[in-house]
Amino acid sequence: MIKFDKISLSFDGKEIFSGLDLEIGAGEKVVLSGRSGIGKSSLFGLVLGFVVPDSGSVFFEGVRVDEKSVWDLRRKVSYIDQDVSAGYGKVSDWLSFVWDFKANQGLDFGSERIFGLMDLFGMKHDLLDKSVSELSGGERQRIAIIVSQLLNRKVYLLDEVTSALDKVLKPKVVAFFMENPDWTVISVSHDPVWLESGNAKVFDLEAMEWKL
Amino acid sequence: METIDISIFSLSLVFLLLIIPVLMSSVYKLNMIKSMLFSVARMSVQLFLIGIFLKYLFLWNNALINIAWLFVMILVAVFSAIGSSSIKTGKVLLPVLISFSAATFIILLYLNIFVIRLDRIFDARYLIVLGGMLLGNSLRGNIVGIESFYKSIRKDSKRYLYSLSLGASQHEAYLPYLRESVQLALKPTIAAMATMGIVALPGMMTGTILGGADPQLAIKYQIMIMIAILVSTIISVLLNIVMTLKVCFTKYGTLRNDIFTK
Repeated sequence: MIKFDKISLSFDGKEIFSGLDLEIGAGEKVVLSGRSGIGKSSLFGLVLGFVVPDSGSVFFEGVRVDEKSVWDLRRKVSYIDQDVSAGYGKVSDWLSFVWDFKANQGLDFGSERIFGLMDLFGMKHDLLDKSVSELSGGERQRIAIIVSQLLNRKVYLLDEVTSALDKVLKPKVVAFFMENPDWTVISVSHDPVWLESGNAKVFDLEAMEWKL
Repeated sequence: METIDISIFSLSLVFLLLIIPVLMSSVYKLNMIKSMLFSVARMSVQLFLIGIFLKYLFLWNNALINIAWLFVMILVAVFSAIGSSSIKTGKVLLPVLISFSAATFIILLYLNIFVIRLDRIFDARYLIVLGGMLLGNSLRGNIVGIESFYKSIRKDSKRYLYSLSLGASQHEAYLPYLRESVQLALKPTIAAMATMGIVALPGMMTGTILGGADPQLAIKYQIMIMIAILVSTIISVLLNIVMTLKVCFTKYGTLRNDIFTK
């Protein structure tokens, strides 16, 4: 599904990856481990075409990620990050904004579906009328997860998406992603809850190898 | 009624007024004397030279020379706009030049042909003076517009990239920033129009009235020029941003990081 082929990347003179080879198959649930700053988020940038490698290529579904293929790729891959930045207005405005994209025409953003997802993640419906800046970190994370569900994506790049969630929601969200057989998930997290998930394949970015 | 002439001697008496700020600056230790006198001197020399130049320009009234001079004015305005912003000049010079020229020429010609209905549409008096007003007044808006657009995307890059990952096309992703930048660029002009005539008489009106025009005629010119400034500012700000998009963004839809001077 996603293949990093001999990726080398430096940033500001610092070498982040040197000849990285990593392959993630469809339906796999991968957790990336390693200390902060090691480049976990850069991997996501490489997949989405936000970062271009110094050498090597990234392949998605067998197609090389380049300036032409990224546009289609970005409609298939869901990227959720911890600093999740939905707009400045009301939550409902942000949802309309995302739904208005041409690529998202035809998707179900109806209130029934949205309420259902909000119930699933323990969110009160009136949060839709609140301004995004008024939400707590955990609420913003859950909105981002809800948006990803509305977009019907099957590949998930998750960057610390449970960091602001409480003890009850954390394992729920982890299970939500890790136990769906149709989805391919790459999760970056310090949280052991992800590592403890039964389906998790852990790749250690420091040692550059799969942990068994 | 003609404008009352001011002799060189009488004009020098206005310079005498500068003794007041010089005294104040030395008494209160404002440290402004040097920069102030330098500014006044520079302005006086520039205007003096321009005065002579315009005298001959109006005398010859050659359409081609007039257009050429207007183009020089546009060039200076463009360099000034890009130079004051944090965007590197080399990258955006051509697109900005084209959009400034288009906005200014189109509006100017429209005014000269349809509103003022000149016999000679490239008449120096109207082309240069009105063109200068359009350029001067839309300049600040353009600096603000292009600066705000690219800087805000750079600052907000996480959200911008997040929009792309949610399926936005490049256009859909940058639209909110475009909206904000254009609104910001036009705010001063719109605000000025709102209080125009109530707070103070604008420069052009003062000039036309002192030149002997009837106030009724003066306000017609003022309305005309304010609307022209508004329209040419919005055209040039939008065109500036739209035409620089190609050089400032990569084909991946990300903002190039080598377009800023800092």
